[in-house]
Amino acid sequence: MWKTVNKVESLVEPAIVQYLPPCQKKCPINEDIQRTNVLLSLLPEDPKEAREGLIQIGDYLFDNNPLFPICGYVCGICELECNYTTKGGAIRRRLLKRFVSDHYLDYLDSKKEFDIVKNREKVAVIGGGPGGLMCAFHLSKRGYKVTLFEATNRLGGALWLIPHYRLPKLVLQRVIENIVRIAGIEIQYNAKIGEGKWSLEKLRKAGYKSIFLAKGTPAPRMLLFGLQIVENQDLEGVFYGQTFLYEISRGILVKDYLGGKKVIVIGGGNVAFDVARSARRLGGDVTVVALECEDKKSKDGIPADHEEIQGAWEEGIKIVYSRGVSKILGKNGQFEGIVSPKCTRVFNEQGRFYPEFDLNDTVTFHGDILIITIGQIPDMDFLKKEGLLNERHQLAVDPLTLQSANKDWVFIGGDVRRIGYMVDAMREGQEAAESIDRYLRGLDLKKGRKKEYIATDLPQLKDAFFKSEPDVTWLPPEKRLHFQMFEKGFTLPEAIEEAKRCLCCGPCTSCRACVSVGLQEDLPKVIVHETICSGCGICVSACHYGAAQLKQIGQHLISSTDVLKCKACGMCLSACPAGARELTGQDLKKRILEICASA
Amino acid sequence: MKGDSPKLICFSCKFGWGYLDTDIYKSQLKDIIPVTCSGTIDATHIMDAFKNGADGVLVLGCSDKACHFQTGNDQTRKRILMLRKILQEFGIDPLRLQFMFNVDPEGKQIPAVIEKTKQLLKNLGPLRPAL
Repeated sequence: MWKTVNKVESLVEPAIVQYLPPCQKKCPINEDIQRTNVLLSLLPEDPKEAREGLIQIGDYLFDNNPLFPICGYVCGICELECNYTTKGGAIRRRLLKRFVSDHYLDYLDSKKEFDIVKNREKVAVIGGGPGGLMCAFHLSKRGYKVTLFEATNRLGGALWLIPHYRLPKLVLQRVIENIVRIAGIEIQYNAKIGEGKWSLEKLRKAGYKSIFLAKGTPAPRMLLFGLQIVENQDLEGVFYGQTFLYEISRGILVKDYLGGKKVIVIGGGNVAFDVARSARRLGGDVTVVALECEDKKSKDGIPADHEEIQGAWEEGIKIVYSRGVSKILGKNGQFEGIVSPKCTRVFNEQGRFYPEFDLNDTVTFHGDILIITIGQIPDMDFLKKEGLLNERHQLAVDPLTLQSANKDWVFIGGDVRRIGYMVDAMREGQEAAESIDRYLRGLDLKKGRKKEYIATDLPQLKDAFFKSEPDVTWLPPEKRLHFQMFEKGFTLPEAIEEAKRCLCCGPCTSCRACVSVGLQEDLPKVIVHETICSGCGICVSACHYGAAQLKQIGQHLISSTDVLKCKACGMCLSACPAGARELTGQDLKKRILEICASA
Repeated sequence: MKGDSPKLICFSCKFGWGYLDTDIYKSQLKDIIPVTCSGTIDATHIMDAFKNGADGVLVLGCSDKACHFQTGNDQTRKRILMLRKILQEFGIDPLRLQFMFNVDPEGKQIPAVIEKTKQLLKNLGPLRPAL
């Protein structure tokens, strides 16, 4: 007998499609970037009054993304997709956010705790990194009693591995302390789940109705050649990047620790460059050996950011591209050098990591210290013990809801599921909070979750219109070999100027900045009077945003407005020779008559 | 023009003028028409004003390259310069159509700009002298 199965997957979902500016689409948590930019551009020039405005902008951001002051220092992936990139340089959104952050932090210390009645279930969050904090924050805001279990004695997780010349220690500490205080999250330090008295089942028995697991990736990835582990990784002088950064953050490795030593760093990612630049600051003579080639646009291109590579190069770090490691050389238990064959390919045709080498072209690099920074892996033994893996020894978890396939009360996210940027983990924390909320309220976990965003195009403007990006001020290399910030933030006039450069490509509905500052009462809309419209199409050429379009109705062409793209600037109104277009809430003719008639 | 005071219609861009103190529109300046963008002001609006008894029109727009909608102020500038020529053909002094492209978030300059334009109109005399 033929029948349909009403599984969740088989139900038709309403299409959820939305236009967003490309930066917001790129941002994993879809932060309201355009809105912030517009609000910044409307700030008063008087610093005292501007401060008030900045606190309001900060409060708005904090509500959804409490870690935003940190993003302002380390993230900036929105800039990669900015429409301005090809026209003079992306809007420096990260620096704009850092500008808000710098003015917001003092206020944050005195910000009042959220007024929430915590009358919902108990939920445990495991891991105090960005994913765990984000989840705990959002659940707490919804009234759940959240306890965060942290394995060490400080919160922040992998954020501590970001060198302090990029993220000042004080910023990190203050932001995290304030999140915990404001959202009212309970913390259990030194609680390593999976060891001693702690396990997932025990937490459940202790009354935690649901668990978010975001333990991150505590173990470094071993160096392989072919499928074999390269020997000698236990020699004296061989470190893993993660451990190296951890020890710097704990103050174990201090200035001149590597004084006069030759350091070889293996890896081509941003973490490898963090390691290399930190090693340089500890006095080392550093060479980075990367498997990938120099051309970032190529399939096998180096993944580290351009700014990192440039910064490292300026600081006197040598970079060797397209070289792997086949042997680690040592003498009397001490590291001596590496044998490095030419890498001819990093990824195979399917895009999988599958490097190939030319063994006839090898060189030997000599050094005193080797730091292997080729990635991290999660604690697989723990995941296996807790029964969270599938038969193929992978994490069994739904990528949309983050629900474990084996234990429906466990949700897994962050680096432990898939290694990504800080903001990727934050997104998973946010999604997990939504899933846990739905799970505990007995709602459908998937309904309406899959959203489709379409990036808006660059407004159609002449090339002469565009302005080039402002220079970023870095301290000169010889003056920045320390762990203090070397990048100068924006001043108020610089920030306003840069915010004004933003083209606001996105639609008004996802911004509403003008309404929030009282500049407009509501978003106006453009109406087309179809009986008057002659279909000439002048409005189409007047509109920068592609919102005015012609459509065929019967034998006639009639102009229409795509409400999702329209900004209601009214440019089409004044261009229309027939007066067929009207802006709601703005009846100029009537106003003119009124004023003329008045005394 | 009634008595000594010329009738002036002033359009002002919301994104460039007086957005920090919106009260200025409501209290001090009743005869001001805030618009989303100066680019929305059409030649017919300006002609309407003259037709219905205004002695002059003033358009306040954003300064160069500062338009929130990218080129609204440029479009208006072009339109006004062209319209001035047409006004001349109708026997209306082109100076009766004034514009100022600047950014003044607090709107402090607005009363002075209006006063200055009114003074100019006063010197020109009424557009339609009483019969």
